[in-house]
Amino acid sequence: MDTFIQLTIDALTLGSVYALIALGYTLVYGVLKLLNFAHGDVFMVGSFIGFGVLQLLGGTSNPIVPIWALLVLVTLAAMAGCAVLGVVIERFAYRPLRNAPRIAPLISALGVSFFLANSMQLLFGAQPRNYDTFSLANGALYLHGIDIGQVRVPLLRIITIVAAFVMMVMLWYLVNKTRTGKAMRATSFDLEAAAMMGIDIDKVIVFTFVLGSALAGAAGVMFGLRVPTNVSIGFVAGLKGFTAAVIGGIGSIPGAMAGGLILGFAEAYTQGYISTKWSDLVVFLILIAFMIFRPQGLLGRADIHKV
Amino acid sequence: MKKLIGLALAVLVASVAAATASAGSQVAASSQAVSCNGTLKIALVTPLTGGAGFLGEQQGSWAKYAVKTLAKPLGLKIQLVLGDTPVEQGAAVAQTLAQKYVGDPRVLGVIGPATSGSAVASTKTYQQAGIVQISPSATRTTLTKAAPTLEGTPSFFRVVPGDYIQGPTDAHYMIDKLKAKKVVIIDFQEPYSTGLADAAQSVLKAAGVSVTRLSAPNTTTDYSAYVTKVPSDADIVFFPTQKPGDAQTFAQQLIEQGKKAKVFGSDGSNDSTAFKVPGSYVSNFAPDITAIAADKSVIAGWKKDNPGKPVGSFGPPAYGAVQVMLNAIKKACVVDHGVIKQKRDVLRQMKKVRINNWILGGSFRFSTKSNDPLNAKFYIFQIQSNGSYKLVG
Repeated sequence: MDTFIQLTIDALTLGSVYALIALGYTLVYGVLKLLNFAHGDVFMVGSFIGFGVLQLLGGTSNPIVPIWALLVLVTLAAMAGCAVLGVVIERFAYRPLRNAPRIAPLISALGVSFFLANSMQLLFGAQPRNYDTFSLANGALYLHGIDIGQVRVPLLRIITIVAAFVMMVMLWYLVNKTRTGKAMRATSFDLEAAAMMGIDIDKVIVFTFVLGSALAGAAGVMFGLRVPTNVSIGFVAGLKGFTAAVIGGIGSIPGAMAGGLILGFAEAYTQGYISTKWSDLVVFLILIAFMIFRPQGLLGRADIHKV
Repeated sequence: MKKLIGLALAVLVASVAAATASAGSQVAASSQAVSCNGTLKIALVTPLTGGAGFLGEQQGSWAKYAVKTLAKPLGLKIQLVLGDTPVEQGAAVAQTLAQKYVGDPRVLGVIGPATSGSAVASTKTYQQAGIVQISPSATRTTLTKAAPTLEGTPSFFRVVPGDYIQGPTDAHYMIDKLKAKKVVIIDFQEPYSTGLADAAQSVLKAAGVSVTRLSAPNTTTDYSAYVTKVPSDADIVFFPTQKPGDAQTFAQQLIEQGKKAKVFGSDGSNDSTAFKVPGSYVSNFAPDITAIAADKSVIAGWKKDNPGKPVGSFGPPAYGAVQVMLNAIKKACVVDHGVIKQKRDVLRQMKKVRINNWILGGSFRFSTKSNDPLNAKFYIFQIQSNGSYKLVG
């Protein structure tokens, strides 16, 4: 039972980070029908911005602000930095190709991905960057938490999971209950019709990139708080986020959340109950199964083509 | 959407295929003579990027310093070329680089490959072209010994001892000093860690220690699920990674889950800036050279060129490897009367090289029985509460 609880906590932690990344893919796909393969590298940049701001605030050994403020400021800075990066990517890499064949922005996305990874390496080197959260308040975020049976859920895990779910709920509210969200949904449904109804399509698209990239920035910090970051983390994280988005139904916001969690549970339980060697195999088998039997994903809608 | 995802996957597959396509081309052995008066090249093959990029950065800075300070006194003009082999990209990159250097008539030798996986993948290509490789860090046993099957070639040398010494040294320390009864061993599904894990496991099992073996992909970043599998009464987790940040993560996650086991890392995790959980152990092929009196001027010169950087443990063996290589080239130049007729001439001189003031202490020469250094050993360090590494064995 303890193993089950521990694996479930692992799954929720992993899954919530995957879900945040998947949301970025799904938001952009929903509006532009573009698979933004640079998204994983935006996540990587977010983790580096978080690291930089953390150092500016004194690092984990000697922070100049209270711990809660440190975590909030680091996360907000990464979200803001990634939002700006998202706007720049949209403006220079995707907007000029908006009316080009679909392959063009896809290749542009791959190019941006390589550009970001290599630029970061040139600027900051290949050394992994460790947030060293363990030094924060003498390991309090690791040593204190909630006990469930014999298993301790450390504060750092609780913060990661709760913060991710709060962000997902806020996103859901924004998209479903606000005027801007309505414009996003309209654009996603029919870009041309939305434009004819007076919606400023460019603004909506930019806002979508802001949202998706900010979530990637937050995910980058959540990742960095637990695991050392480096310039090459974007590829695998992006691949997992993309997989989660496809499983959930790319274009569907609740689908991305569900897909991320499914991926997290599949990985953690496979590693715990079957074999640590098989987790990626199982994850990508699930992806293949969805592609064959339910290509629109769990909560996505099937494309309808006029014949 | 299905079409677009199919298209996306096709583009991904195509880009990967393009990156590895050149690996299949023919090896072009070069036998062009080169004058010792001209600029000669040696290549450093190491992970300059990726999770083990720290290793390449250390080796690169020391190799550059060695070329800068040692070539001129030997009457040589040497250009150091850098080849990147990120550990995450597997062996194909090393093979591609090998073909590139084989085709360059001025590349007379290779410092590296730094990792065992890259060495296994490329040494036959170098061997066919007669290019000597001298690694400052590839420790897989079968690169120099038929145990049971030789994966190296007669052209592969190293200046550090192999895992046939490291594995048993680490295991005996766990048994004799730490009195370990239950040990978890993790490998990372690549030659370096599997070889080292096997070597330690056989000694531990022979001594009656309970061993649990786990295996993680080399791209793993979050080890929570692996930590969950560590029994609560395990004493040690042997973690032979090439990414010290991962050893740090694992040690932190052990504490996070309330496990009492200590992490025991290998030479690949010997980095005091990245792996610093107190109480953990690491082994390494090099002592702390700052404690060697004869190295003071070398360290001072290197620090002048690399202000603010730590001396590290991977760099000094790279300095030593360059020193051995340059001496072999010099001997070949003398024997060939100023014109090296073929690259194999440098290889022929390698075992004749002797270094009196060896950077890792004492003197250096190769064993007569293998291409390993004579009488080399591994050292064990424990991480202290201030993050420093204290020599304990």
